[in-house]
Amino acid sequence: MDRIGALYRVVLCSAFFTLAACASPTQPPTEPPGGSLTQSDAQGPAGIREATSGPSTTTGGRSLQDAQAGKLPVTPPGSPLKEVYFGYDRYDLDTEARATLKANADWLKANVSARVEVEGHCDERGTSEYNLALGAKRSQAVKDYLATLGVAATRLSTISYGEELPVCKEQTEDCWQKNRRARFVIVSGRPAS
Amino acid sequence: MAIAFPTRPFYSQVKIDIEGPVGRRSPIAVSLLKNLGPSDEKRRISESITDTLVYDLNLSGWFRVLDRTAYIENPQTSGITAGSFDFKDWSTIGAEGLVKGGFALQGDDLTVEMRLFDVFQAKQIVGKRYGGRGGDSRRIAHKFADEIIAQFTGTPGVFNTRIAYISLTSGFKEVFVSHLDGTGKQQLTNNRTINLRPSWSPDGRFILYTSYKEGLPALYLYDLANGRDTRLGSQRTSSMGGRWSPDGKHLVASFEENGNSDLYLLDRSGKTVRRLTADPGIDVSPTWAPDGNRIAFVSDRSGSPQIYAMDVATGKTQRLSYSGGYNTSPDWAPKGDKITYTGRVAGRFHIFAMNAQGGEAQQLTSSAGDNEDPSFAPDGRMIVFSSSRTGRYQLHIMRDTGENQQRLTASGGGDTNPSWSPRLE
Repeated sequence: MDRIGALYRVVLCSAFFTLAACASPTQPPTEPPGGSLTQSDAQGPAGIREATSGPSTTTGGRSLQDAQAGKLPVTPPGSPLKEVYFGYDRYDLDTEARATLKANADWLKANVSARVEVEGHCDERGTSEYNLALGAKRSQAVKDYLATLGVAATRLSTISYGEELPVCKEQTEDCWQKNRRARFVIVSGRPAS
Repeated sequence: MAIAFPTRPFYSQVKIDIEGPVGRRSPIAVSLLKNLGPSDEKRRISESITDTLVYDLNLSGWFRVLDRTAYIENPQTSGITAGSFDFKDWSTIGAEGLVKGGFALQGDDLTVEMRLFDVFQAKQIVGKRYGGRGGDSRRIAHKFADEIIAQFTGTPGVFNTRIAYISLTSGFKEVFVSHLDGTGKQQLTNNRTINLRPSWSPDGRFILYTSYKEGLPALYLYDLANGRDTRLGSQRTSSMGGRWSPDGKHLVASFEENGNSDLYLLDRSGKTVRRLTADPGIDVSPTWAPDGNRIAFVSDRSGSPQIYAMDVATGKTQRLSYSGGYNTSPDWAPKGDKITYTGRVAGRFHIFAMNAQGGEAQQLTSSAGDNEDPSFAPDGRMIVFSSSRTGRYQLHIMRDTGENQQRLTASGGGDTNPSWSPRLE
């Protein structure tokens, strides 16, 4: 079974991996997972956020880390990168989502060192495996659109959390709509402003 | 382990009831076992065996076990062979079937003898003697329950099996395994991330599951013998879950590339043998036909998630589900004849079964709440699934016809993603 220490390493590891995967999707990383991990100096569950203090706190941390800290994965109101929302069982971007992504793209182009993980989420309806695949489609749709707006794809990694990390837990359409989302988490790099 | 007594003619009197009216359950009595060993009281063993047998028989859907308090005779003073007790004591209380037996515990060596009687015909149907350790009492009871089902239906029951599932008990989705009656519950993962969709290897020795414990969701193989856990495949792409082939030599799994999930055939070390799908839609949730030649899976290539079947060798693919706009999580029946899956009706999710060739589907659940992720028992006659009908998701069980729906778990956090093991020893 995993120890807490291992978990911290793993959480840091995931940042490297998603970035590595994003940078060269067709090539496996040259180093085994363990190699790059142990070089990181993990300090605790909040290690990532502390290390990249500015931007990470403004978008909020990774949704899974929020869950591990007993918090809802909420994007703070002041975040420079806003969430976008999807229709039920859909991964196309409507006008509102495109407008949000335009603003997000503008910020990303002004803050070129920021690397961002795009999380795809679903509402609780339906089965877990299909929703994992659906969340992947959503995060990719966002990444692709940001790329067409001029954000380098290498700065954007994706992860799907399927229906696993809802931000709202009631069984209402209002709540489900909040959960069908793509969230942005700044994983490294400081903003210019 | 078992010494078979000469098997008598079939339990024909009661067998007719299977074809009888829906919901007809044969009334059966399960007497406490007689202590045949040294004189010291070992009532606990007798109760453990009979309680397990009662649970199994009620769960089967074929029997209604009569309440022990109504029994007339004293199990410790009456005999356990035909002729050494009075069948009238049992016909009077309405029993059509009767289980009697005895046990002896010497040191840690347990011997149990159990007999099934047809009360109407006043004769023994089957008797078995089992040897084991003191801790084997439930296993022995499950074995005799399987034997009773075999006498009753021609095919043994599935009570020596376990369910792998995901439980939120700790606040995180972790992998658990448990017997049907909730005993032997074991937590396999404790990584405080997200673990999903466990499934059994055909030999019952490994659990394949999906976990976020190293970042992106990946496939892991858990060895039940030693707790060793191995990641299958690369960590650079996400996996949406996989399943074993019936011969245990291959896996089929869904991996994501650029947001799109496709199915891959893997060897059991996780190395890709061949890519099976390459369309721009979602391809996920594979399940193997028992002949190993075909898989069924979920694809949204038509615009909504539907069940498809593919010939693994040729790649020839056929859409199976046509009714409803959302059909997912298929499980192929062990006999190959049917596929069960989750479908959406009027905004709720229910369990369906259809012919493996596709076509008309039968809706098996209709309760309030959502019903998801069906998994066939190894004999194909029962299905375990998760349902929110009582509030939180819990595991439920039903006959493959949808009859006899019963709740298996009542966990505080909620239980989902059940997978029924093969028959275990």
